[in-house]
Amino acid sequence: MDGSLSPSAAVRTDLLRQMQAVPRWYRGRQSRRLREMLLAYSFLAPAFIIIGLFGLFPLAFAAYESTLKGLNKIVGSYDGLGNYVKAVDNLIYIIAFWLAAGLILYAGRTIARAFQERRQQQTEPLPWLAPGFVTAVGVALFAHFVYLLLPELLLIPSKLRGQINTQAAFRGLVVEAWWLPKVQIALWGAIALLALGVGGALFVNSRLPRARRNRIYFAPFVSAGITVTAGAALAWLTWTEINAAYSDALEKGEGLDLWSQIVTISAGFLLLLLAWWVWESAGDRPSNTAMALRLGSAAMLMVGGWTLIGELPRVIAAGDQDWWIGLMATVYYVLGTAPIQLGLSLILAVLLFQKIRGQSVFRVLYFLPYVAPFVGTAAVFRIIFSNRPSAPLNSMLTMLGADPLLWLSEPTGIFQMIAGSHVDLGPILAGPSLALVAIMIYGIWTFVGFDTVIFLAGLGAIPNELYEVSAIDGADGWAQFRHVTLPLLSPTIYFLSLYAVIGTFKAFNHIFVLRQAAALGTTDTASIVIFQAFKRDTRYGYASALAILLLIIILAITMINNRVASRRVFYG
Amino acid sequence: MAKSAMAAPIRQRRPAAKGVALNRVIIYTVLIFGAAAAILPFLYTVSVSLMNLTEATGGRAFPNTPQWSNYVEAWHDAQFSLYFMNSIKITLITVGGAIVFCALAAYAFAQMEFPGKGFLFTLLLSTLMLPEAITWVPNFITVSWLGRISPVPWINNWPALTIPFMASAFGIFLLRQFFQQIPKELWDSAQIDGAGHLRYLITVILPLSSAAVMTLVLFGFVGSWNALAWPILVTTTPDWRPISYGLLAFLDEAGALLHLQMAGALITMLPIVVLYFFTQRHFIEGIATTGLKG
Repeated sequence: MDGSLSPSAAVRTDLLRQMQAVPRWYRGRQSRRLREMLLAYSFLAPAFIIIGLFGLFPLAFAAYESTLKGLNKIVGSYDGLGNYVKAVDNLIYIIAFWLAAGLILYAGRTIARAFQERRQQQTEPLPWLAPGFVTAVGVALFAHFVYLLLPELLLIPSKLRGQINTQAAFRGLVVEAWWLPKVQIALWGAIALLALGVGGALFVNSRLPRARRNRIYFAPFVSAGITVTAGAALAWLTWTEINAAYSDALEKGEGLDLWSQIVTISAGFLLLLLAWWVWESAGDRPSNTAMALRLGSAAMLMVGGWTLIGELPRVIAAGDQDWWIGLMATVYYVLGTAPIQLGLSLILAVLLFQKIRGQSVFRVLYFLPYVAPFVGTAAVFRIIFSNRPSAPLNSMLTMLGADPLLWLSEPTGIFQMIAGSHVDLGPILAGPSLALVAIMIYGIWTFVGFDTVIFLAGLGAIPNELYEVSAIDGADGWAQFRHVTLPLLSPTIYFLSLYAVIGTFKAFNHIFVLRQAAALGTTDTASIVIFQAFKRDTRYGYASALAILLLIIILAITMINNRVASRRVFYG
Repeated sequence: MAKSAMAAPIRQRRPAAKGVALNRVIIYTVLIFGAAAAILPFLYTVSVSLMNLTEATGGRAFPNTPQWSNYVEAWHDAQFSLYFMNSIKITLITVGGAIVFCALAAYAFAQMEFPGKGFLFTLLLSTLMLPEAITWVPNFITVSWLGRISPVPWINNWPALTIPFMASAFGIFLLRQFFQQIPKELWDSAQIDGAGHLRYLITVILPLSSAAVMTLVLFGFVGSWNALAWPILVTTTPDWRPISYGLLAFLDEAGALLHLQMAGALITMLPIVVLYFFTQRHFIEGIATTGLKG
């Protein structure tokens, strides 16, 4: 440690000091690893406390909050899936049911895979079963502890109302909530089970013959246990909620509607899924069977689609219009920005990649819109797209002999505006409002530079030899682009498209600055709707429920995207 | 992949021999057109911010005589001295904390061995998938609750605006990418010299990856300059309100005074844009590294 000593002397004194200071169990090779482990955890601790508290815990918290109702109240009365029903009506029962089914299916597949490996590779998953599931139950009990303590802590401010509201009194109530018997029992039960599970796993590991230790089934069984528990809890919640809703509906004399709706919509989605699956499996069959399968799949697609078209609008009409309009705006935004943005930036990147002068200058300029603060640039676009007749775009239109437009204040769909006022295209065919189109243009403007930079990095990773070889084979520029550049760039394209889609569902800042009251909410994407439910309406539970729905949508998109990518993306 | 992405000048393909002249003209036309589209709004901002009111609302392209006083007026009307100071304070506290916490965690992930490493790293990266919207309600409640038990209030104060952003999956990931490239032999020789992990991190790893730390600082700076939703939720008074919220309030206040709006927008953009022009290599490489792998 001392800088003045020579290295070897330093090591010797250091070792000596350690030998004297450290107890026996703390010495040797095993203990060095233990010490490194503890040090690593202490390095991780600060970051994980912050990320856990403000990044992961919010998920559990939002799930809890979304089951409460009430205006401007942090802890309202328990309302089950009531907030979700308000947002998407009966669709939530279907979503929750299939989510639960998916979780249990996932757990089943994990376990089945473990036993399949046992048969094929003579591994030994069985001893891991008990510790894995004990740990999973421990995790579930810990979740139970969190959900017991959380409401107690949240109720403290209202308990203090009317009393002397000091910090000491508040802290006293926190301590009191912590020492509640039910909280303590759940906490120590969870700790005991977790210790038992981990201890059991270590025991199993030490008893297994060394040759079989290479395959550890602890993690898969823990995750299977957790997903089973979560799936069962969700299924139970859904079942009780459906029953409650059903008895409510019976009193109103419309009992059958609920079940028929649930069954029809589920059947519709199942048919679509089945159609996709049959279509995919048709590829491996001889041509006649494949033809028959594809026809069958097309028929299923049509029947399923028809069922959904018949049933979904009724559910949508019964849900929250703001939310559905918000989702619609988000979908329009994705469809309108992502392809254009990716296409433009691919062209720019490929051109920039040629041997040209001023390459880095171009790159710096393209990237500028992405770097400049969003609120500032959005403020500029607010003026460019303003509805004043003398605003930049409108004066250009006047110069060309056209009438000025309302731009950001125009709620009418663009296809409706093109078709003229004498045909009514309906809400979906009318397309995104002109206001939303203006925001899309802003979105494209900011993100083309970002995409270009990522594409350039992807192009730089393609080995030059491939171009040389293909040139010898007689490939011209276009053939090279089509058969070398594009396939090797597909991971980048995949990443950027996923980023664009998820980014749109998260988008907030620029839309919040660019939205005008006159656009009548046609520009409000999902995030904006959630923000308004929280900030303007102070409906905490409802905003949380919408946020959870948004998360489910993002997860579903990511999963579908991964599924497609595993077939279409070429990873070198 | 990360390494080749970081090679500073873009590697180039040899151009085809024939038809070069015509191709060049087309390529340059497209590229220049793109560059013009990227910077025209900025030039327009500069131009309008120098006009007087009648020129700005009259739809002119250039001012007759530049009104430099617009900037002073916008600065005073928008209380920018307060908001700039707030943003700078918020940025310094956030970035300071982020360097310490992210470097420690990134070092553990890059250079140390411990059980559960893969699981914790996956858990960390999965937070990137969460939409910000899902954290609004819970974090608002958490922050106001923490303010009741901690010695300083959190709402309307620096903790709510800085502490949640002191550790991010993004920052840890960025630093880990750089830390991993440092050869393990250095650690062996540092051990022989008697250095522990912490000392090795501070005296060897951090100085070697100053480029990565620089990138982290830049992104922290841009991030707190851009923050809008969260500051709206946790500030009710201007005391700690950051610049973007200040600009938004000014835009509504200035109403028809377009030239002042533009001057205000330009003032808020200027620090980031200047910073960008000086450090653009770090910026673009940082984006390319994390973007490609993330």
